[in-house]
Amino acid sequence: MSEPLLIFPIILVFAGALAAALCGTPALNRRLSASRLGWILSLFPLGAFVLLLQTVPDLRADMVFTWQVQWMPSIGLNASLYFDSLSALFALLITFIGTLVVIYAGQYFKGDKGTWRFFTYILLFMGAMLGLVMAGDVLTLFVFWEGTSITSFLLVAYKSKDEAARKGAFKALFITVGGGIALLVGLLFMAQVVGDTQFHAILSSGEALRDSRFYPIILVLIALGAFTKSAQFPFHFWLPDAMSAPTPASAYLHSATMVKAGIYLMARLNPVMGLTETWFWLLTVAGMITMLTGAVLALRKTDLKAVLAYSTICQLGILMMMIGQDMEISFKALIIGILAHALYKSALFLVVGIVDHETGTRDLRRLGGLGRSMPFTFAICALAGLSMAGLPPLFGFLAKETLLATAVHPTLPKVVGWVFTLSSVIAGALTLVISGRLVWDTFMGQPGDPDIRGHEAPPAMLIAPALPTVLSLVLGQFPGPKQEALLLANAAGAASGTEVKVSLALWTGLNVPLLLSVIAVSIGTVLFIYRRKVVAWIQALPVVITLNAFFQTFFTGVDTLAKAATRLQHGKLRFYLFTMLVAALGLIFLFDGFPPPINTASMTIPALSFEGELILLKILILFLVAGTALACVVLANDFFAILAFGGSGLGVAVLMAMEPAPDVALVQIVVDILVVIILVLALQQMPASRLQQAQEVAAKHHKTGLWRDALISIVFGIIVMCMTLAALLSRPRFSAVSPYYGETTKITGSKSIVGAILADFRAIDTLNEIVVFSIAGLGIYTLIWFAARKFTGSEPKMGEIGEPPGRTFSTHGIGGPKISPLIAILARVVLPLGMIIGMCELLYGHYQPGDGFSAGVIISIGIGFWYVVFGYHETRRRLAWLRPTALIGWGILMAILSGTAAMIINGSFFSIVDFGKLLGLPLPSAVHLSSSVLFEIAIMLSVVGSVTHMINTLGHPEEKDTLWRS
Amino acid sequence: MEILTAFAIGLTFALGLFQILRRNVIRAAIGLMLLTNAVNLFLLSAGAYTGKQAAYVGAVGIQSDALPQALVLTAVVIGLGVTAFVLAMLIVIVQRYKSCDSDEVRGLKR
Repeated sequence: MSEPLLIFPIILVFAGALAAALCGTPALNRRLSASRLGWILSLFPLGAFVLLLQTVPDLRADMVFTWQVQWMPSIGLNASLYFDSLSALFALLITFIGTLVVIYAGQYFKGDKGTWRFFTYILLFMGAMLGLVMAGDVLTLFVFWEGTSITSFLLVAYKSKDEAARKGAFKALFITVGGGIALLVGLLFMAQVVGDTQFHAILSSGEALRDSRFYPIILVLIALGAFTKSAQFPFHFWLPDAMSAPTPASAYLHSATMVKAGIYLMARLNPVMGLTETWFWLLTVAGMITMLTGAVLALRKTDLKAVLAYSTICQLGILMMMIGQDMEISFKALIIGILAHALYKSALFLVVGIVDHETGTRDLRRLGGLGRSMPFTFAICALAGLSMAGLPPLFGFLAKETLLATAVHPTLPKVVGWVFTLSSVIAGALTLVISGRLVWDTFMGQPGDPDIRGHEAPPAMLIAPALPTVLSLVLGQFPGPKQEALLLANAAGAASGTEVKVSLALWTGLNVPLLLSVIAVSIGTVLFIYRRKVVAWIQALPVVITLNAFFQTFFTGVDTLAKAATRLQHGKLRFYLFTMLVAALGLIFLFDGFPPPINTASMTIPALSFEGELILLKILILFLVAGTALACVVLANDFFAILAFGGSGLGVAVLMAMEPAPDVALVQIVVDILVVIILVLALQQMPASRLQQAQEVAAKHHKTGLWRDALISIVFGIIVMCMTLAALLSRPRFSAVSPYYGETTKITGSKSIVGAILADFRAIDTLNEIVVFSIAGLGIYTLIWFAARKFTGSEPKMGEIGEPPGRTFSTHGIGGPKISPLIAILARVVLPLGMIIGMCELLYGHYQPGDGFSAGVIISIGIGFWYVVFGYHETRRRLAWLRPTALIGWGILMAILSGTAAMIINGSFFSIVDFGKLLGLPLPSAVHLSSSVLFEIAIMLSVVGSVTHMINTLGHPEEKDTLWRS
Repeated sequence: MEILTAFAIGLTFALGLFQILRRNVIRAAIGLMLLTNAVNLFLLSAGAYTGKQAAYVGAVGIQSDALPQALVLTAVVIGLGVTAFVLAMLIVIVQRYKSCDSDEVRGLKR
């Protein structure tokens, strides 16, 4: 069954988040007060609620709506939704309480102009939470799961100036995201075992999962995710700290929604993962400890929100315990518990928010006697409290009854059964005390602090806690339309995997659960009467060591380590490099990952064999490469060193040509020339005093340092030499890819295999390469113009940069002397000549060596010649059409367009389309206006732009003045 | 013959590395380029065949390996970009620290 409408509630809520963010714009923000914003934005979750409610009548017992979009169908990944009664129950709660919380928050933040931020976060959270309970595959579930963690971080840290808020938010994030990672791994394991990521497949492969040898791993990992999220012992300690969130957020996240995510997940997976011994013990024990811990710790606290937080932990423990059971009644208890808890706990949180808002404190020791001044709040709180205490006629009574019914049922060994029953009764009694304290000590008796005076909250604020409370009353009094019971029964059925009957009648006759209930209530009442003593006694108990201590220690340790690591930093760049190299050496020898290329046992060192026609040339060139490289190091004069480097680079080009790799050799030649030009220009930028100083620095070598660097270099030189030798000696080798390219190049219509690889097979890589190259050009431009000027203090005006200054005609070149007419004419000829050569090379590049890049560089060298001959201003004046940034932009745009055009015609990005043939253009033979030629032209344009930027920036005479003025 | 080629490449690499480890930043930049050249040659030597002919469709005889050539071509291009960018950074660094001594460049230490 497929249902595209499913996505609408989620979209609606996210649209609400967007609307809230838009309300942050000054124009809207001025017009909308917080409370009005709350009313308007509440329409989004309300709409989602109504949409979801529509689906309820259609949800039969085993009915599931699914919907999916293809994401990466080739590896079976789809984003999908899965919607059954269990999801519906959660989704309805999320949107119902969400609507109320948004209205309430509008009142809570009255007069605060920054509230749009809160609304954005909470609606984002709501969307993520909806997505979580409606997710149809494990990855969608995970994405939304982490979405709730992140948005809840933003909500808890909402009062970001408060250190406690920040710390609490970080703790919550750390624990829940950590659990989320475990969850992801567990879910992926599960998908692997099942062979599908979709829930509808997973939920029908229970046997495969339970019989899998990965079952324990999957269970532990998923439980880690669920336990951290749902604040189960021993991960519960983040929840009380998260109470530094604004109260509306706490009411929403920490009672009804986020902390239930783990419960939802476990309930969802119970039919396939559950019903095993491990499952039973894990969930029951964790749940039971959590329940008791929460109940006891709640009594230690005097902050109302902390009390509520711990009582939530207690309730979450109960729910987790219920999932672990294998009886029909426990799933009835689970579903009723979820509903009842969401209703009364969110109401109580909101009431606490009202009390805090109206009196300015949440401390039980200071509060009291507010019932007279806040009668409505009191009434709501009393009803919600009764529901929490599990007293009739409220819905909470039913929740407790079903819990106790589960507690006496178990098919367990006697002793364990006893513990189960006893702990449930104790938890029931303690919950009664907690709720009694909450209601009585706040609203009855005398205030602990006589200055505390409450006044009634506005009706708009009361409506939010009132509605769920009334609902708990109505649900308890009138079992209501069949529809509801059916929804709950179906949800319980989805969680248990079998059919579950749910009736909402409170009175089920005299039976054991009722008896236990009476015992629990009696104990609770007695404890309540003597609550001061009980609380004092519990507060006197030694603090139980929790993971909190480990958490603290861990982060203190991380901080200390980080500080120690910072102290290790000496700040000398070349020593960092040194350290890296030595470490690399250590790794090479440690892991022996470097096979000795000269296997002395089986191979003799190859003798020098001098056959072959070009052998003398090759030897000569090898000496040229190595000799000039050596000269480049030894020569003291920088200019000569640069020339030597240029010689070495040309030698490299010849070696490449002898490979034979003519395409590469061509590029190497033009690049080498360009590098020499750029080096000379850059050297010109440095003041003579600095160059002098550089030489002195080089002369002042320490002997030891010299030997150390030489040694390291020699060792690495030998390693590279051995690797090269190994590569050369093992020729010819098997290559998996090269023959393929050789064969398929024919299809492209190109003769050059290298050119075909670059422009056709790996065109997107080449596009990236050109983008990187263009960024380098733009980067140099911005670096010199902005970063460098920052230090001299003269900020350039945007308009001036790169504009031709419009000086009068100058006959002086870069160095100052008069330009010889011969050279001037030569320069004028060279540029158009370079352009012609470049274009020819580009157009025939598929048959001969040459491509767009070398064409671009050849043209740029022509331009560079102008800069050298005529100087900066004159060149800018005469070549006014040369706009490097625009050229880069057009080039990249053209590359993308030609790829897109090919995609439209051929259906694949950068596929080959012969536009010349397509449009019937008369072109010379061997010239094809194919998409790859267009691509090469685009490359050429951006290369010319980028190189011009380089030459332009590095060769700017005034730039030099500005740079060194300081 | 191969041992000579390997030796030349290893020597160029070592010289480039040595320059980078020294204090003179201008020479370090030149050293980086030597290093680039050596690495490009090494990559080219990783080709699988001893070619007698360039890698063109229809060439008779053993063709050289086109794949590393395509990679090296990209590497040469990026090398040019890197060189130019390094030089620009060098200009800013020298000007910022008022020194060509790489030991004086210690902005990270603050």
